[in-house]
Amino acid sequence: MAFNYDKYLRLEKMPTLWCWGCGDGVILKAFIRAIDKMGVNQDDVCVVSGIGCSGRFSSYVDFNTVHTTHGRTVAYATGIKLAQPDKLVVCVAGDGDALAIGGNHTIHGCRRNIDMTLLIINNFIYGLTNSQTSPTTPQGMWTVSQKAGNIDPTFDTCDLAIASGASFVARETMLEPKKLEKILIKAMQHKGFSMMEVLSNCHINLGRKNKMVSAMENLAWIDSISISKKKYDAMSEEEQLNLLPLGVLKQDLEVREYCEMYDEIKAVHQGKRKKITQDDFTKKI
Amino acid sequence: MAASPMVNPGDQPVWVNTDNCKACDICVSVCPSGVLGMRYESTSTLGAMISIDHPEACIGCNECELTCPDFAIYVADKQEFKAAGLSFAKLTDDAKARQEKIVANNYMSLSEQGVK
Amino acid sequence: MATREIISTGNELAAIAAVDAGCMFFGGYPLTPSSEVMHVVSDLLPAVGGVAIQMEDEIGGICAVIGAAMVGQRALTATSGPGMSLKAEQLGLAQMAEVPLVCVNVMRGGPSTGLPTRVSQGDILQSKNPSHGDYKSITFCAGSLAECYTEVVRAFNVADRFMQPVIVLLDETIGHMHGKADIPTVEEVKAGIVPRKQFTGPAEEYFPYQCEHDEPAVLNKMYTGYRYHFTGLHHDKNGFPTEEIETCRKLIQRLEDKVALHEDEVESYEEFMMDDAEVMIVAYGSVSLAAKESIRHLRAEGIKAGLFRPITIWPSPAAKIKEYTDKIEKVVVVELNIGQFHSEVQRASSRLDIAGLFKVNGRALSPHEIVAKVKEL
Repeated sequence: MAFNYDKYLRLEKMPTLWCWGCGDGVILKAFIRAIDKMGVNQDDVCVVSGIGCSGRFSSYVDFNTVHTTHGRTVAYATGIKLAQPDKLVVCVAGDGDALAIGGNHTIHGCRRNIDMTLLIINNFIYGLTNSQTSPTTPQGMWTVSQKAGNIDPTFDTCDLAIASGASFVARETMLEPKKLEKILIKAMQHKGFSMMEVLSNCHINLGRKNKMVSAMENLAWIDSISISKKKYDAMSEEEQLNLLPLGVLKQDLEVREYCEMYDEIKAVHQGKRKKITQDDFTKKI
Repeated sequence: MAASPMVNPGDQPVWVNTDNCKACDICVSVCPSGVLGMRYESTSTLGAMISIDHPEACIGCNECELTCPDFAIYVADKQEFKAAGLSFAKLTDDAKARQEKIVANNYMSLSEQGVK
Repeated sequence: MATREIISTGNELAAIAAVDAGCMFFGGYPLTPSSEVMHVVSDLLPAVGGVAIQMEDEIGGICAVIGAAMVGQRALTATSGPGMSLKAEQLGLAQMAEVPLVCVNVMRGGPSTGLPTRVSQGDILQSKNPSHGDYKSITFCAGSLAECYTEVVRAFNVADRFMQPVIVLLDETIGHMHGKADIPTVEEVKAGIVPRKQFTGPAEEYFPYQCEHDEPAVLNKMYTGYRYHFTGLHHDKNGFPTEEIETCRKLIQRLEDKVALHEDEVESYEEFMMDDAEVMIVAYGSVSLAAKESIRHLRAEGIKAGLFRPITIWPSPAAKIKEYTDKIEKVVVVELNIGQFHSEVQRASSRLDIAGLFKVNGRALSPHEIVAKVKEL
């Protein structure tokens, strides 16, 4: 017997429709192992995904699953979470999904600090629709919508989440599934909005004209642009320039979670406490 | 559509589900011990299929299973494997050298010639 | 029927109705002239243990509502024309995945930003097909303060019966009108609640989207041990994406037929002085109030006018319209747009000589304008 993935998979959906060597599958696996380690009942988990290759994530796992529209993952999940706050809600989105069309929902999810995990699979490109520029496509790379070379500046997903108020922010790559699994557990166990960026490959659509035509070449590139937070912090700004730090980048255990805060609103309206005022908050603005 | 066989087909340290394998080479690339290789298979995705060439060299590190995106390769559970009186190999210099050769051979089994 | 008197506005009555009908979730975004709905539910819902959240935009509002409805709650959103345009794609997902919810649209002048604080009935055709693709919308239109309450209550029950969004149209005049309304008691409303169907057999025998050709999906509440998949893609009996030819055809045909073959269950209209009418005025929403007044004037002058007022706008009461237009020669549709329901009356009656009185300047129609129009016929 090996590890029992089947328990969490919709086997009739296998094999996945992802391309050979796609990091989505590795992340899916790490997610399953993380859930198994956490010992959460499958009935008590809701996985919400958007549109793109990552959108299919939800249809492969045997939980309560929701495949929403493009970019709206976090907004749907907000309703799902508030309707039953004691359940585990995990959003899965791609870089285009969560940062371009759904950017607004992502930053406001972070701001509210509502208890859910947003797993952003960043493959630096629109894969499903064949190689268009995404908000994370490195400048100078070829895309099918910018064949002369991409001139659009990139988002740093984690910086964005930190600035927006997410209370847990981490970055990992699909190169190290064991680490990924560990940090995923931390992210899902965190009470509050946890944003987890996973750098992944798309040798098919990012790689095909950017000299990374195999999974291995694409993975080598990811390895070359990422480095542990510890090493990153010890570097000069010049050395840091084209590197992305890996690991837990922020964890704030003090900031209050939205569903719990909303319980206070309920208490006010039910006459169980006096109205909320500025005095209830240390940081007001 | 076949269910992925997590059940050990018979005292194996590592085994595969060829229905799920898409021949991406990742498992071959991460094996430290030269256990795996790709073989030509004209009916398969990318014209190749995973092959376990040296199961006796498997050290049970689990890297291939963890990095396989397609639930196509499985490694025996350490406790169960031991309980059955079996053991994983130790990583040897020979095995490391073989792995280097496999990588140099474009992740193809050493018995296979040419490029995929 | 036991009733009670409330002095209130249309928007407030719609909000009270939702809470009385068992709504536990509101998601929305401020939009004139609908915002008061959010203002009221944000007090009422937390008091009963529910949630009202102001989201980051109109799209987020309806997404959260669909999410809560997927979990199993009765959920409401409220907006106006620009918000409806933004919500359109998500309404399409709710049609496709068969998620029940109620969307109140307090109509203002359009297109675009239009006339934010002024009345219009310009969203009639939008409410028929807010999103792309084929499905059959259900839309009610409140013609009085009391109906702002009763139609929202009915909308929740109908949404759960047909497993799809139900749009309740108010116009700015009705929404902001302040006055006395005779509405059913809370006990009456609670007794009339018909919750959505639930499958109770073993999980392995549960197929949420496997149903008769004219029946809605049976979506069990989330987290109850029946794990399935919601998607906006064409899907099979489990909710999983598929492109299988027959499955796709049957699914879309069923979305149409589950309403089309049961129109009698949602049909609703008012006939005012129609028994001996020789002129039929077709009007709905706030315009119907002016029409009723005009009929009193017309009758005083010996012109036998009557009002036919559709309450369920979509699917329209086409058969009833035809019945009247077959025997009444003079028919005029009066509305605050350029003939959006007029074209439906033309279609239903198979007549091209249906008259129209239209106004699109953000002002209400006065009874005198209707009287003058009828005299011209």
